[in-house]
Amino acid sequence: MRATATALALLLALAGLSIGPPARGEEIPRLTFAQLADSMRANLGVTQGIKAYNGREIEIQGFIIPAGPPDLSFFLLSRVSGTGNYCCELPSGQDETVYVYTARGVSLRYDPVRVYRVRGVFEAGHQVDRSYGVSFFRVRDARVEEAVGARIFKVGETKSP
Amino acid sequence: MTPVTVVWRYLQGRFVTSVLTVVSVALGVSLVIASVLLTRGIKEAFIAGATDYNLIVGAKGSPTQLVLNVIFRMDAPTPNIPLSTYENLRSDPRVEVAVPVAMGDAYQGFRYVATTEAYFAPFSWRRHVPALLTGRLFRNEAPERPDYEAVLGADAARRTGLKPEDRFYEGEEMAAYPLRVVGVLRPAGTADDRAIFISLGSYWEMNEISRKAMIKPLTAVLVRPKRLSDLPALHRGWNVGPDLQAALPSAILLNVFNLLGLVEDVLAVVLAVVAVVVGLYLFVTMYNATLERRREIATMRALGARRATVLGIVLLESCAIAALGGLAGILGGHGVAALGGSLLAARGGPVTQGLAFSALQPVTFGAVVALGALAGLLPAVLAYRTEVAENLAPL
Repeated sequence: MRATATALALLLALAGLSIGPPARGEEIPRLTFAQLADSMRANLGVTQGIKAYNGREIEIQGFIIPAGPPDLSFFLLSRVSGTGNYCCELPSGQDETVYVYTARGVSLRYDPVRVYRVRGVFEAGHQVDRSYGVSFFRVRDARVEEAVGARIFKVGETKSP
Repeated sequence: MTPVTVVWRYLQGRFVTSVLTVVSVALGVSLVIASVLLTRGIKEAFIAGATDYNLIVGAKGSPTQLVLNVIFRMDAPTPNIPLSTYENLRSDPRVEVAVPVAMGDAYQGFRYVATTEAYFAPFSWRRHVPALLTGRLFRNEAPERPDYEAVLGADAARRTGLKPEDRFYEGEEMAAYPLRVVGVLRPAGTADDRAIFISLGSYWEMNEISRKAMIKPLTAVLVRPKRLSDLPALHRGWNVGPDLQAALPSAILLNVFNLLGLVEDVLAVVLAVVAVVVGLYLFVTMYNATLERRREIATMRALGARRATVLGIVLLESCAIAALGGLAGILGGHGVAALGGSLLAARGGPVTQGLAFSALQPVTFGAVVALGALAGLLPAVLAYRTEVAENLAPL
């Protein structure tokens, strides 16, 4: 009985690790598209403030735009849904698009009008990828899950739901 | 006599029953294996065959039909769009490459795909570049003087038997426009294997409507933007008008996968029921066998066999039946999946790999043996508790 309980606790702990907070109790900083847009400079550069997150694990929420293979090993994360709200806002551009490279084995159900929470290693700065071209913001080794009840704000509100 | 020898004798002693039980287990396991391999194979084939172009612009209608027809050569083509759509996309500064595609007739079921040489261009971002096995590509001739040259996909060439320099047409009305094979593509494992590529000029001349009405229709335009971040704007821009639509191929496939996921869920329930039925059948077989053998078990006990030995023998027999059925089922399941995959491919569906080895096989085998142990547990306990005095009484 005790062994079963221990095994169950171990399984729950392992499941929690898949999207849980990082080790040592460090809080994952959450970036917003407003911060990304503000960090862009006219000379294709980005501010030092946003570069400070380079190599660190961050969280960002947005809509998935499947721009790579249909296994979602790569996709764009955008402030505006790519296929959903025709009536609401114009599509976002380079400054509000994050290129997401998912970790191996990530499995999720795609829905164009749902908001997703992406956690992974952040990179800011102009880069050209052989397969996916020019990008300014990237998240690598990303884990993805649906951000239930979340909303994406253009400016202001940045609190986690 | 070792427990293994005893189990072997038991299996031989109830040969017909043992074989029938093994077959039942094998049928259940092969159903599981074949179902999983086929659904997984279909999904993987869709992923492998997906286009590297990020956007498809076509006539207003179903985006799923547009993607399935243009990329996977399934379903009927969507209505025509004017050539100006392609010209507008080609001159759009946000677009790196635009490739026109016109779909229509077929030869022996292999569809004609009219396009330009750009379709075969080896861009650095392409995962699959159609490559020639023999011959050459068709020429980009002047539309008013088409050469009627054709490049065949690997399957199309193999199944029609056509080779370079052969001429072919289908239907009397096309006798005036025979196509000449100038090249055959290498097998790519995509829908291109089942296509017959011709130039747009040939297509327009072969098409009676475009000939008489002096129009140059297309079915779709494949688009690759210079920057992927322009994709949403391009997608939105082409969708707001009343006549045209733009579809993200990956998004459409993901929606198809979502539907496939519902089928997988239903299948999982069916397979769980099959596992329960197989487990119950195994249990009933072992239970009856144990009841029939109570006198033999009592004799073994009287001759010095321990209760644990008796328990182990029954469990071993149950696990052996399950293991044999599991092995046969895994082999049979692969056979069924390979057969289903080839039947699906022959009907123009996605090609599946029925013989792929993964964690599925060992996990299934382990689960079947565990199911065998579970089914044999109660009969084993029954054997364990068999009283010598009661069961050795004179008959």
